[in-house]
Order: sequence, then structure tokens, then C-alpha cells
Amino acid sequence: MKWLRPLVSIVVAGAFFLPLYLVVANVFKHGPDITASPAAPPIPPTLDNLTQALTRPDHLFWNGLINSVSVTLLSIVILTVVSAMLGHYICRTPSRFARITLLVLLAGLMIPPQVILVPVTQVLNLTGLMGTISGLVLFNVGYYVPFGVFVFSGFIRAIPVELEQAASIDGAGPFGTFWRVVFPLLRPATASVLIFLGVWIWNDFLNPLIILGPAGGTTVTVGVYRALGQFQRDYGDMFGLMVLSALPILIFYFALQKHFVKGLTGGAIKG
Amino acid sequence: MNKAIVLATAALTLAACAPAGSQQPVANGKKEISFLVFETPNLTPEYWDAAIKRVTDKHPDIAVKKLVAPSAGERNAYAKQLLASGQLPDVMQAIAPSGLAESGNLYAWSKEELKNYAHPRSNPLGGKIYQLPYNSQPTPLVYYNKKLFAEAGVDAPPKTYAELLDVSARLKAKGINPFVVGGGGKDAFAAGYIWIALVGADVYARQPDFLVKRRAGQVRFGDPAFVKATQKFADLVGKGYVDKAGLSRDYPSTEKAFLDGKGAMYPMGSWFAAAADAGADAGKPPFEIGVFAWPTDDGQVVVPSYTGGGPIVNARSRNLEAARTFALEFNQDAANNDVLVQSDAAIIAINGYRPPPMGPVYNATLEVFKAGKAVNAFTVETGDDSLLPGVGDKVFALAQEIIAGKTDGAAAAKALDAEWVKAGGR
Amino acid sequence: MFLDKRAAARTAAVPLQRLTYLLSFVAPGVLVYACFVLAPILLSFGYSLTDASLFATRTRFVGPDNYLRLLADPSFLTSLKVTTILTLIIVIVPNVAGVGVAVLLDRAGWLYRALRSVFFVPVVLSSVVVSVVWMAMLQDEGLINRLLGIRVGWLSDPDLALYSIGFIISWQMLGFCSVVYLAALQGVPQSLHEAAAIDGAGSWTRFRKVTWPLLAPALTTNTVMLLITGFKAYDHIQVLTAGGPGLGTTATVAFNVIQVGFTANRTGESSAMAILMLVIVATVSAVALRLLNRREVDL
Repeated sequence: MKWLRPLVSIVVAGAFFLPLYLVVANVFKHGPDITASPAAPPIPPTLDNLTQALTRPDHLFWNGLINSVSVTLLSIVILTVVSAMLGHYICRTPSRFARITLLVLLAGLMIPPQVILVPVTQVLNLTGLMGTISGLVLFNVGYYVPFGVFVFSGFIRAIPVELEQAASIDGAGPFGTFWRVVFPLLRPATASVLIFLGVWIWNDFLNPLIILGPAGGTTVTVGVYRALGQFQRDYGDMFGLMVLSALPILIFYFALQKHFVKGLTGGAIKG
Repeated sequence: MNKAIVLATAALTLAACAPAGSQQPVANGKKEISFLVFETPNLTPEYWDAAIKRVTDKHPDIAVKKLVAPSAGERNAYAKQLLASGQLPDVMQAIAPSGLAESGNLYAWSKEELKNYAHPRSNPLGGKIYQLPYNSQPTPLVYYNKKLFAEAGVDAPPKTYAELLDVSARLKAKGINPFVVGGGGKDAFAAGYIWIALVGADVYARQPDFLVKRRAGQVRFGDPAFVKATQKFADLVGKGYVDKAGLSRDYPSTEKAFLDGKGAMYPMGSWFAAAADAGADAGKPPFEIGVFAWPTDDGQVVVPSYTGGGPIVNARSRNLEAARTFALEFNQDAANNDVLVQSDAAIIAINGYRPPPMGPVYNATLEVFKAGKAVNAFTVETGDDSLLPGVGDKVFALAQEIIAGKTDGAAAAKALDAEWVKAGGR
Repeated sequence: MFLDKRAAARTAAVPLQRLTYLLSFVAPGVLVYACFVLAPILLSFGYSLTDASLFATRTRFVGPDNYLRLLADPSFLTSLKVTTILTLIIVIVPNVAGVGVAVLLDRAGWLYRALRSVFFVPVVLSSVVVSVVWMAMLQDEGLINRLLGIRVGWLSDPDLALYSIGFIISWQMLGFCSVVYLAALQGVPQSLHEAAAIDGAGSWTRFRKVTWPLLAPALTTNTVMLLITGFKAYDHIQVLTAGGPGLGTTATVAFNVIQVGFTANRTGESSAMAILMLVIVATVSAVALRLLNRREVDL
């Protein structure tokens, strides 16, 4: 019966993977062939769809890529720094303020963005940040800082205080202690935060749609949605754009696979 | 490590000051205005860029930043969203002024600016004109597949409603789907055209100011005329003349379905004529397309249509003068309009305009339009005679319910009255 | 008092250092959070007590009116029902299937490693891409109906559309759940399995008595994650059905908050909906967490 498990696994995975197979197979076919025989393999394959998406006159993909990359990178770097530091404070300071802050932050973990989007647009308007990348980044930071603090404070708790005390006796200020002694030990936490927030922010649809708006440019995810209206006569173009928009994150995933899993499950086991 | 992070962050922050895809703010004396457009299979990005360029070539002191709504069907909702987030663009193409004009956000065109238009008093809101009325679009007409009609033994389009029922029965008997409709995904509006046609033919023909009266609380959707028209829609569904599969098709897929021969009749706005003629040029569809007006009970030819479609201007624009100039020029540029006629089958309502030579479906559309009595197109109106904000979407949702067979004329009308009240009406 | 000058200098500098520490470590995070999460919640609450709307020329305080009207409004109650059904599907289906997939693929070797990757790919894709692909497949003349030779209105039938959306979101989250379960499974000591086998337990009994109890923390993580996913679902709904077909058959509360707030622009009403949604999410999460934690402790 030893062959049963691999067989069942392959069948189940195959059925599960069908939609993804469709995208991969059809992106290399011409539009009319896609509707005619969607399940057939692409023989002969064509790169037309991909080149079309890359060379659109309105540069939808490239602009989207640049915006997605800048928003995502900025957000996760700032988030890592800010939440690591805040997590450090919450862990190391036994004051009541610290405890309350932690509770208020954890409560924020569950808030759906829809609850706060309308007032957030007003806050951004007041500060003149509506429709700018900095506005979107600031919103991301505020919204995801509970997650970052949650991950970091868990890890910081495991680092003995003596290390920091030793550093401070040697004359290091709070910055030095933190960045040179504590932070390097937080690599798994940093990896988790960077990866998860990176994926979530890259794939974010609603927030860039509303906050960046048409004036601030589109991200790659919103760009796919926009192309829906124009493209559906030719599925080929549509699939080309979708594959291109998913490519960066897929590359990111396959390169860092091990860390994804570790990041997910580090928290799970610790509970 | 730290230095690298700091440097990277600094670099990105600088990059963030000007997001990709957005033009730099005003430099070297140019007045920048933002222009909201939308894309459809007919109105491609290239079309808009070329049209904008024709105007900026003539007015080099104006710099136009093109903004694109996420989808054509949601462009009105999108404009409101922009208003809600304080980003209302300077000029907006084909956006309904109702909902925006009430709080003083829109510029009202003067008589002088409207002198070139054939119907300068179209869709007034509070007596003022906000949207340049340059494009007359019968919405809908019934486009039909002549080959499928011939197969069912129908040699002439129906002239009365009774004849329409007869034609549908004969088509169904031959296993041909009578009506192609849409309504899937975010394109719920594609489910509404039969209803719009019925309201135009049966309600507006006799009460052209029905919605004005509704706003005043003098009539209700629950009144017999409206209910009867809606019930006709439900009856068509009940008899199996309307293909429910349409509810899974978004707008481009719906058009494709008709062109693929999945149904004999396609109630659709006149912009379809462009795709129909373009298809004929490209060698498909392999059948001739005819057009007729949705028939009334007594045979009077009634054509629901909407004349408007032009730009509206943000009254609070920083470059109001430039915005107005651009809007007028964009709208009246003959070359722009020629392209619009060719790509979107527009019927331009500007004095002295002559369309370029067009294909057979466009010409047939024009004939029907001229032969019929023009009435409002339900849900398309944008003036004092329009639906209250948000109610249009409910109409489309109810149309979906009717097509799915979940509700009938009386219930739908009652629901519509309830939504009207929720939206702040009487 | 001080043993040497250095210690004295350090102590004197402490208040300033402390202030620097607080300003740089604490202030940024707290400020951003307060500005972009806490303040908006308060603003939301404030708006919910008014009749604010983009078309109204004046905004008036109306007290609990919005709430009372919402609770009596059939379409709000429908959205509650829709949210409940959707969230239940999303919490249950990928959780259960995730256990199955995890158990199935819990073996060493390149094949299983590759298959595990395959299952996780949808998790990192954007919901818009996932929705577009499924929409193409589930059209009435789409691939699924053609392959199965049937004509089901997966997305066009008002009675089915919600379940289709639930299925699609479950499909996307399945990989996440199975990865979490896999990690937990790998934490089960082999010795326990062996001891149970020696005692004569078959593989199903072993699963029930040894494996399943140790999966409890993974169950908590997954359930919380899925609850949040269900409550805030928006992208899939917008692309697949935009709340239809029909009147609100797939419109959750979260979806309606955006519709009413940004499209119909009735800010007062949408804020009330948002606050109600917050209350519901908080309550359900608190209850779920309590139940799950208790289960963990017991085991």
C-alpha cells in the first residue's frame, strides 16, 4: 500500500492546483485559443501576452511595480524598526503604561481596515498626505504595528536582560544596547515580520485603492483590477498582466520558503 | 547593516515623494489639471492619450494628468469616493453630476459656453447644466442576430410588444436563446437593459417626467404603470426568454456572448454599434446585426436615450479657467469626436458636426434614433429627473434578482420604493 | 553615595537618557498607532452619532438613531447573516481540509516537499488574481461546468454565489492552515507514536488520542487567522460579485461599510455599521480565544 499515499497526494494536489495550472498554461496561449480550449497545454507557446503587458503605453505594470516596491519596502522596514523598539519597551518596562499599551495594541490585531478607512482618509486629508505614498506607508505602519510588536515582544522576552545590562555597564546608551546587542539576536522575528508584512502589504487591494487613489498612482495589485474593465475581451492580455504581477511575490516566496514556514510556526508552537 | 538600512530608507523616502505614474506638479508656468477617464474595450488607454494630446497641442500651457477609474461601471461611485477623500479631480468625463453638484462642487456651464450644443438644456440639475451634453446615446436599443432570426422564420423585427413575445416564442421553439443579458462580477448594470427599455416604452412614453414627480412624492414605483412594466420583465424571465447565465458574465463577456451567437437579441446601448461594425471589418461575427427600438404595446416608436456624456468640472479646481477651457475643447474638438464616433458609436449633438462615414450597424442605429420619440433612459438620467444617489445600484441589483427568478414586478417595485426612502427620498 | 565619578555622571544623565529612550523607542509606534487606528475609531464613533453625508449641507447630531435604524433594517440583518455564513465556511473548511492535507503530506522526501510548496502558493498570491482566475473558471460557460458537463450558476445563482466565494477563499487559505498543522505534527515526539503502537492502537486511534490533542495550539492560530480573514473579506467579494447577484446576497458587513461609506457616501450610517462590526469582531474573537485556550490548557 506504500504507493497509496504518493498517489493520493498527487491527485489531491493536482485538483487543488488546477486553477494555477490554468493561469500558467493559458498565459502562453493566444487569446482566442484560451476561450476555445482553456485546459489544453500551450503548444506552441507564445510570449505575446507577457510582452504586451510589459509594453503597455500607459506603463501600467512598470508604474505599478515601482509603487508596489516602494510602498512595501518602506512599510516593512519602518515597521520592523518601530515595532522592534516598541516591543523592547513593552517587554523591559514593568510600568502600567507599558501593560496598557500592550493590551491596546493587541486589540488592534483584529480590527478590519474597513472600520477605520473613512476617518483615516480624513486624517490624511488634514495632513495633506492623501494620495501620496507616504500617506499609505504611514497608514500601513499604524495598522500593522500591533502585529510587529506581537512578534517582537515574544522573541525579546526570550533574550536575557543580563546581556543588555552588561552592555550598558560597558557604557553603551539605550540605542547602542538595542541595536548592537539585542537586534542581531532577533533575526527570526525580523524575518517573520518582513516576510508576512511584505506579502500582506504587496497584495493589499483596498487600502491602496482608496488611499493612493488615481492621483497617487496604482500598485501592481490595483492595476490588475483596473485592467479587468478593458481586457476581458482578450483573456490573453489579462493573464499576462496577472502573471507578471504575481511573479515578484512568487520569486520572493520560493527564495525564502524555509523562513516562511519557520515564521508561521514559531508562533504557533509557542502559542 | 544599520547604515545600509538607513540609506535604503532615505533613498526610498525620496522616491516616495513622487510616486511612479503620477506627473510632477506644476513647473515652468503650465497649469496642471487632473482629468478622470475610464477604460472599456472601446475606449482604450491609447484613445484617451491621443484625444488629450490633440487638445494640449492646441493649448500648450495646459498640462493634463490623466486619472483612470478602476472600472467603467463604477466610475460614478469612484468619483464620489474621490470626493469623500478630498481628491475630486478637476475635470471628469461622463460622470453623473448628481451627488456631486448638490454640495456646490461642480461648475455650472453658462449659456454662452453651451451655444454650440444641439440640446443645451439636457439634464438640468436645479435648473443648471453641469455635464456638457454632446453625445446622444439611445439606451438601450435591441440589436439582433439576423441569421438566428432567419433560422426561426422571423423576417422583420417586431413592431409591437405582442410581436416581440411572438418572436421570442418562435426563437425558443428552435432552441435559440432569445435575450442575451449580463450582470456578473462588478458589472451589475449589464443586467438592467431590458428593464430600462420597458420603463422607457411603457412608463416614460406617457409620463416623461415620472422621476421628477417621484422626487416630489407625487408618484411611487409601486404605481400600476411601473409595476406593469416591471412585471413584463419578470414574465420574460418566467417564460425562459432571458438567459440566466448572463448573471455570471461581466460586461465584456456579455458582448462577447452575443457576438459568439449565444442569443438572438441583445438590448444594449448604442455604443455597441461600434463593436458590431468593427467586428464585421475583422471578419467576425459571421452574421449581420440589425437593430430596432424596444416595442411599445401600441407600436409607437419610443427610444430611451441620454444626451450628455461630456465632462464635468470641479468648481473648486485650482486652475478653474484651464479646466473649463480643456473641457470645452476636448469636447468640441472635431478630430476627437470623429474618433469617438468610430470607437464608441457616439451620436454627437453639436451643431454643425458631420460624422465620418460609418458602418451599417451605426447607420441603422442612427435611423432608429431619428425615427423615434426620445424619452429618458431609466437609471441613466443625471439631472433633476434622476434617481437619488445610490438607488441606481439598487435597480441593477433588483434586475439581477428578477433575472434569477427571485422576485416579481410588484415586489421589486416595493423594494425600490423602500430603497428610495432610505436614500433620503419621500 | 557613588562609587566612582562615572557612575555619578551616568545617574545624573539618566533622566535625559530616559527621555531620549522614550521618545525614540516608544513615541513613533504609539503615535502612528494612535493617529491611524485609535483616533479613526473614535472619529468613526463620533460620526455614527450624526447624520453626516456628502450631500447633506449640514450635519446634525442624531444620537443612537443610526444604530436603531440599522438594527431594524432588513438589509443590515441580511449582511449579518451573509457575514456569519461566509465566516463559518472560511473558519471550518480550510481548517478541516488543512488537517487532512497536513497528515497526508507529513512525510520526508522531495515529492512531499514539492507538494507542500504547491499548496502554499495561493496564500502568497493577491486575492484579486485568485478571484479573477476563479471567476473565469466558474462562469456559466466556464471550465468547471464544461469539465463536469453541467450548467450550475456558481456565481450567477443568488443562492449559490456566497458558497462559491466561501469556497474560493477557503481554497486560498488551505495552504496556510496545512503548513501550521504540519509544523505542529512534526512537533509530536515519535516516542509517543511508538508507545501507542506498542499498546496496540491502530493509526486512526493514534491520530485521535496522540496527534489531535497536540494540534490544539495550531488550531487556535488557524482559527483566529481564519476568523479575521472572514470578517474583513472584501477583495474577493468585490471582484467576483460586487455584493450581488441580487440585493446583497454576498454583501458582508465589511463590504457594506465600504459601499455605504464611499459610494453612497452616507458617512453617519456607514460609521454606525463600522462600530457595530467592531463590536461583533471583538466579541467573537474574545469568545473564540477563550474557548480555544481553554481547550489547549485542558489537554
